[in-house]
Amino acid sequence: MKNKVTSGTWVAKFILSLWAAACLLPIIFFASIALRPRNEIIAPTPIYFPTLTTETWSKIWDEWPIGTYFANSVMAVFGSVVICLLLGVPAAYALARYRFKGREDIGFYILSTKMMAPAAVAIPMFVLFGRLHILDTVWALMLIYAAANLSIVVWIIRSYMVDIPHEIEDAARTDGASDLRIMWSIIIPMCLPGIITAAVIAAIFAMNEYLFTLIIASKNAYPLSVALANFSGGSDGIIYNAIALVSFLAFFPALLLVISIQNHLSRGLTMGAVKG
Amino acid sequence: MTAIQPAIIRRRSPFMRKAFPYFLLAPAMIYLLGITLYPGIYALYRSTMTGKFKLEFVGLDNYRELIVDNAFWESLYNTLVLGSITLVIEFTIAMALAALVYRDPWVKAWRIIFLLPMLFMPSAVSFLWKLIFNDGRIISDLLTRLGSTFGNIDFMGSSGFARSVLVVTDVWQWTPFLFIIFVAGLQGMDKEVEEAARLDGASWSSIFFNISLPMIRPVIAIGLVLRGIDILTMFTPVHVITQGSPGGATETLSYFIYRTAFKSFEQGYASAASVLLLIATIVVSQTLVRRFFKSGTE
Repeated sequence: MKNKVTSGTWVAKFILSLWAAACLLPIIFFASIALRPRNEIIAPTPIYFPTLTTETWSKIWDEWPIGTYFANSVMAVFGSVVICLLLGVPAAYALARYRFKGREDIGFYILSTKMMAPAAVAIPMFVLFGRLHILDTVWALMLIYAAANLSIVVWIIRSYMVDIPHEIEDAARTDGASDLRIMWSIIIPMCLPGIITAAVIAAIFAMNEYLFTLIIASKNAYPLSVALANFSGGSDGIIYNAIALVSFLAFFPALLLVISIQNHLSRGLTMGAVKG
Repeated sequence: MTAIQPAIIRRRSPFMRKAFPYFLLAPAMIYLLGITLYPGIYALYRSTMTGKFKLEFVGLDNYRELIVDNAFWESLYNTLVLGSITLVIEFTIAMALAALVYRDPWVKAWRIIFLLPMLFMPSAVSFLWKLIFNDGRIISDLLTRLGSTFGNIDFMGSSGFARSVLVVTDVWQWTPFLFIIFVAGLQGMDKEVEEAARLDGASWSSIFFNISLPMIRPVIAIGLVLRGIDILTMFTPVHVITQGSPGGATETLSYFIYRTAFKSFEQGYASAASVLLLIATIVVSQTLVRRFFKSGTE
């Protein structure tokens, strides 16, 4: 019995290491792409141990306004998260702490907007933003990212708010605190981890968004996710070292954000349904 | 779930007391209705029109054309086939890894490593695998080194290969999503039940399949619903890697709508497909979501 368990753990370790390698090797390869000269990316036989250099970076920097792309991403993502929180926190509070007619239906309606296929609403959104003259602006990206993530934000925060015991609220109320004050100075501070989790998940999803971004941004408003699809230089084909560089530019902030909420990750990804 | 007690509210008229939660919800609801109701109505209206700049009413002609359009049915077929294969593979890998890792003292370290692919932008991951499979010829080269005699394989040349590239791309990036959810589910389980079974001499596999797995069924369902919806709207890797080639073999429903609306500029026709997709998502979300997220609101 004992023997079986130990050999079992070795097999387990081996399988886990295999998948870890499957995760890490492509990432290391991608990093090496960002660090190699252009002529070593696509060669007759692939080069596994290239000359590592950062010299190409300044060239990439000169060729494309990567700083602008990054700024566009940051503005659109940050703006959308702010909209989500402004609209989402009160909505979550209502769903979590009040009993009222239609509560469940409203909750599920909000959740079901997450299930909308972006492709199905792409044309109306394109037409609407065209009429509003905000196509190819960061504002349009902000609005659409907020729309796409509002449901997630509401449901994540709601799940944290539901967990707060009612006694605390009741005590404040007998002391004469108003409902808004209870929300602002008791409930919100107490579920700050939930709000941060929601904000991080919404930010990462906004950063990743592709379809809406593709139809909205055509030049001025390119954020990183779509900008990298345009790194091709005519006869040079696709310029992979620029793509890799920009990919890591988005990867590191995402990594830091996720590490900061790692104990809340499963709860965030399931919109509060799986606590762990 | 804690029961929600009626709030004791003072200094407030009965109307305000009743209306307060609705006021809190109103901004979010208006915003969400704007992005769901408006597109639905507009798509319905636009689907009865044809033309690029001057619109002309054609009634149900777009729908009539759509249901005999092979490209539409093929995209639906591709979406379902690609989607189910991808989902089954992701589920299997994620569950196997979660089962191996959830009582491991190093679980946090494994989790960080495994979730790294998820932190890249999907467009970046698509380019990475496009490079590995096709443009950089890495896979062909590795296979040759292992003794294959195919030489340089054109992964965009055959529908089977092109579909596999999309599956690999999605599996690599999104298996962690299910993995993280499953690990949380398994860790949240009562340890004592497993311990008791172990003391009774049950084998590892029978404990896992007969006790652990059934216990986390709700968690599995939620993970699969969320991932399934994402997979069925797969767009980014198709746009970056295959553009639907060869001959439409990798065109998903999302890509079909995008192509007809924004490349062939047949917005009326694409709107008809959008309406059908919207109806499908409403039906699916109303049934599945209500069922699996139910416990969350009670």
